Amino acid sequence: MIVAERKPMDEIVAMLAPHRKVLVLGCGGCVTVCLTGGEKQAELLAGQLRLAARQAGRTLEAAFDCITRQCEREFFDNLTEDPRTYDAVLSIACGAGVQYMSELYPEVPILPGMNTTFLASNVAGGVWEEYCRGCGDCVLAWTGGICPITQCSKSLINGTCGGTNNGKCEVNPEMECGWLRIYERLKALGQLDNYRTLRAARDHRKDRGGGVRRLVLKDMAESQESGNE
Amino acid sequence: MDELTSGELKRLGDSRMLMQREWSPCRYHCPVHADVRSYIELAARGRWREAIDVIRERLPFASVCGRVCHHPCEANCRRAGVDEAVAIREVKRFVSEQQGASGATVRRVVQDKAPVAIVGAGPAGMAAALDLALLGYRPTVFEKFAVAGGIPATAIPPYRLPRDVLQQDIDWICAHGVTVVTGVEIGKDKTLADLKSEGFAAIVIATGLALSRTLPIPGANHERVYPVLDFLTAVCSDRAPRIGSDVVVIGGGNVAMDAARTAVRLGATRVRAMCLEAEDEMPAWDWERSEAAEEGVGFIHRRGPTDIVIRDGRIVAVAARKVTRVFDADHRFDPRYDDADVVSVECDTVIMAIGQTADMGFLAGSPLAKDTRGRLTYDSATHQTSDPSIFACGEIVTAPGSVVEACASGQRAAKGVDLFLSGKPIRLADALPPVIGEMAPDTAAKVSKSPRNAVLQRAADERRRDSLPIDANFTADAAMHEAQRCMGCGGGAEVLIDKCAACLTCLRVCPFDIPVVTDVARIESSLCQACGMCIVECPANAIVSRSWDTREEIGNTAARLAGAGAGPKVVAYINGYHAPAAAWGASAEDALPGVLEVWLPSVSRLGVAEMLRAIENGADGIVVVAGYLGGDRYPTVRERMARRVEQLRAMLGEIGMNPERIQLVHCADEGRDAMRRAIVEATGKIAAC
Ligand SMILES: Cc1cc2nc3c(=O)[nH]c(=O)nc-3n(C[C@H](O)[C@H](O)[C@H](O)COP(=O)(O)OP(=O)(O)OC[C@H]3O[C@@H](n4cnc5c(N)ncnc54)[C@H](O)[C@@H]3O)c2cc1C
Ligand code: SF4
Ligand code: SF4
Ligand code: SF4
Ligand code: SF4
Repeated sequence: MIVAERKPMDEIVAMLAPHRKVLVLGCGGCVTVCLTGGEKQAELLAGQLRLAARQAGRTLEAAFDCITRQCEREFFDNLTEDPRTYDAVLSIACGAGVQYMSELYPEVPILPGMNTTFLASNVAGGVWEEYCRGCGDCVLAWTGGICPITQCSKSLINGTCGGTNNGKCEVNPEMECGWLRIYERLKALGQLDNYRTLRAARDHRKDRGGGVRRLVLKDMAESQESGNE
Repeated sequence: MDELTSGELKRLGDSRMLMQREWSPCRYHCPVHADVRSYIELAARGRWREAIDVIRERLPFASVCGRVCHHPCEANCRRAGVDEAVAIREVKRFVSEQQGASGATVRRVVQDKAPVAIVGAGPAGMAAALDLALLGYRPTVFEKFAVAGGIPATAIPPYRLPRDVLQQDIDWICAHGVTVVTGVEIGKDKTLADLKSEGFAAIVIATGLALSRTLPIPGANHERVYPVLDFLTAVCSDRAPRIGSDVVVIGGGNVAMDAARTAVRLGATRVRAMCLEAEDEMPAWDWERSEAAEEGVGFIHRRGPTDIVIRDGRIVAVAARKVTRVFDADHRFDPRYDDADVVSVECDTVIMAIGQTADMGFLAGSPLAKDTRGRLTYDSATHQTSDPSIFACGEIVTAPGSVVEACASGQRAAKGVDLFLSGKPIRLADALPPVIGEMAPDTAAKVSKSPRNAVLQRAADERRRDSLPIDANFTADAAMHEAQRCMGCGGGAEVLIDKCAACLTCLRVCPFDIPVVTDVARIESSLCQACGMCIVECPANAIVSRSWDTREEIGNTAARLAGAGAGPKVVAYINGYHAPAAAWGASAEDALPGVLEVWLPSVSRLGVAEMLRAIENGADGIVVVAGYLGGDRYPTVRERMARRVEQLRAMLGEIGMNPERIQLVHCADEGRDAMRRAIVEATGKIAAC
């Protein structure tokens, strides 16, 4: 799932400074699950913003709403509030939601309330950790199920660099060396051959190098014109 | 149970309607379906005034039932699976008697509909009259005795039901525009035909079972052989009959126990109850039997009287044969005797308490049909007799039962009368919402134990000498504490499945491990303990409370803040689980200046949203008065509350407000003085912000 964290309050306050009437819009998807951008957070943030404005001697009308997912058009039909009646919308979905909504409501400024951070797994109650970079060319089959793109600070694909210090990464000594972990895991699996195999350079067009990535499912795809009208 | 969605919730309008989706067993099994859980919850917060209104909404004889109800609610209370049933009847007794007749709301409606006559001012007749008045009819109740109330007024002994307690109910009912005419016996002073010609559009017969059954045995006509109702009624109207010193009561039911215990109080030196049944077969409630035994009543089991032996004009004994069986194989009453085994039980007075039967005198001159056994013909589906404008309810047509059952019958008849007089077909909907299921033992094991508050009963030796009540009313503290034992069954959490994101938070915060999350979260209502922890923590606002709602509290606090006027204001949220009744909703003189106290049964449902709103609505700061470990009725609340306070403090910090405005103290279980000191200290810190 996608993890996003709320932006620092000062930044949000500055972003909203020109507006008198804003809608804080939560998303019922990923950000609800990571407890940062659901309806409850939208409610609390709206309250906090009203208070902040009052502290600053301004008046701010801030309402909240939430829909199932901000990255799907149909769910916007379920809005209780009409974004067009607001000076701005502060979306607390991930960046996908914010942008998608901007497309749907070109006349309304849709502002990001969040910093979208990573693709995560939930490692304990209230704790999420990055597990995947969405590189577009998954290597987990030969890395013992541990992602070197994510877990190695340099995203190397051919084993440890020379900077491993007692199992820690030279870039970030807090972090375990991803490649050491891969090595240990491959050893345990009896698959050290995978470690010894030299891998060809990666095709970065599948990652970020090829512009906006799309998934078009031939058997399901509607024409985009009708989809976006 | 159907799953709930936000659309359905909107359609229901009020989230309290959710309580109608499933009933707690106490409500379900109450014959009038009083909203037990709701009034107990109000009592748990010391909101006596609202509690009595909830009780009286369904139960006109609230005070009487507070004393004498056979309480099927308690028999079905789910708390019994944890420790002991909630003392529902005793809480009700406290609430109704504390409020009296005038302390409960009287809802007067315009009574511009037809006049209706009711025959008999017992529980059934009065309940029917009340509902008819509330429906806009003009009811007049005719009662042959000089007092209204039926058996509770004329036969239930005052040591169990003091007259002034009964009068509270009668006065409250009459305040709704119910006219009672006493001293008029229908069939003698007036006939049913007279009532019709006087313009009553419908008549409700609620004459109960006014005659005592007797045994056709030699000696039964002796003047010292008392039919039980004559005996009890005489005692109730302060014309205590003369009895000797050695009394035999024939019968083993509750009425026989009342007669025997009354005979003890009239000074008899020996009182024995003789019954066909063995001890464990007796129809009397266990507690009636044991209280009677404590007061010195003896029992002669498995004996059937054949003869009342009279010598020189005086009763000297009851001859009784052995009972070989009471019930047949199908548990039908079918006694068999051994005529060779006859004993002679010495006595000088006999009270026949073997059952009551209807007095059909009201029928005089009327063509109403009777069945082959001489009982009034009536259609239980409509309450109509053979004359469609004449209805019947209460014990005359039902099996002998209880006050509350008679009320239920009267209420149902009133609906029938209303449909009839409105020219509609009489269809009485008896369907009820489903009842919440049993609580699993492993859930019950997680509920903190709290023993039932005992009612102080006078020593048998003392109470047998007078007619004063045998036990004391709860104190306010005991009533409140007892009410707090209620687990609010069915008043817990419900998931709006369209909003749930399956985030697992509810599952993680529930102290009782109740939610199950698959595609969405599901909370099994029969297991949920209604702590509300998940409601407050759900990031999707996808969980709602079936009972008191956290959003409702936000509104209340806002209104109180708005009403508090100028000057510094601090809201103190107090976990009142340990506080005495007097401290709840602290009275004006006790309140600390500038502090608005919000009392909660637990701080489990106090969320960041509520507290943030309070600040937004004008509070300068907040003091949360929580308890120490175990100081809250639910596990883990203390830790959770500390985190919520930290979250709110951080939120204030982010917008440049001093986090010190939010104070958390842990002295909810240390008494009012400690609490006041802590609030004063915390308020000082807030003032310095
Ligand atoms: C001794 C005793 C103890 C009991 N104890 C309990 C208890 O502890 N708890 C409990 O729940 N239940 C108890 N009951 C049962 C309870 O009292 C009855 O279930 C209930 O009173 C029935 O109500 P009712 O309105 O049908 O009849 P009743 O209460 O009998 O009322 C009928 C009324 O009609 C009047 N009436 C009769 N004929 C005429 C007429 N022709 N004209 C005018 N008026 C007439 C009668 O005088 C009476 O006032 C007890 C019953 C008895 C006898
Ligand atoms: S908008 Fe972003 S946060 Fe919301 S469901 Fe879509 S991807 Fe997840
Ligand atoms: S615990 Fe409360 S709600 Fe549950 S059955 Fe008992 S009285 Fe009713
Ligand atoms: S906490 Fe709310 S959103 Fe999360 S699983 Fe439970 S009900 Fe669903
Ligand atoms: S947290 Fe409380 S209200 Fe929610 S499911 Fe568990 S017991 Fe019920």
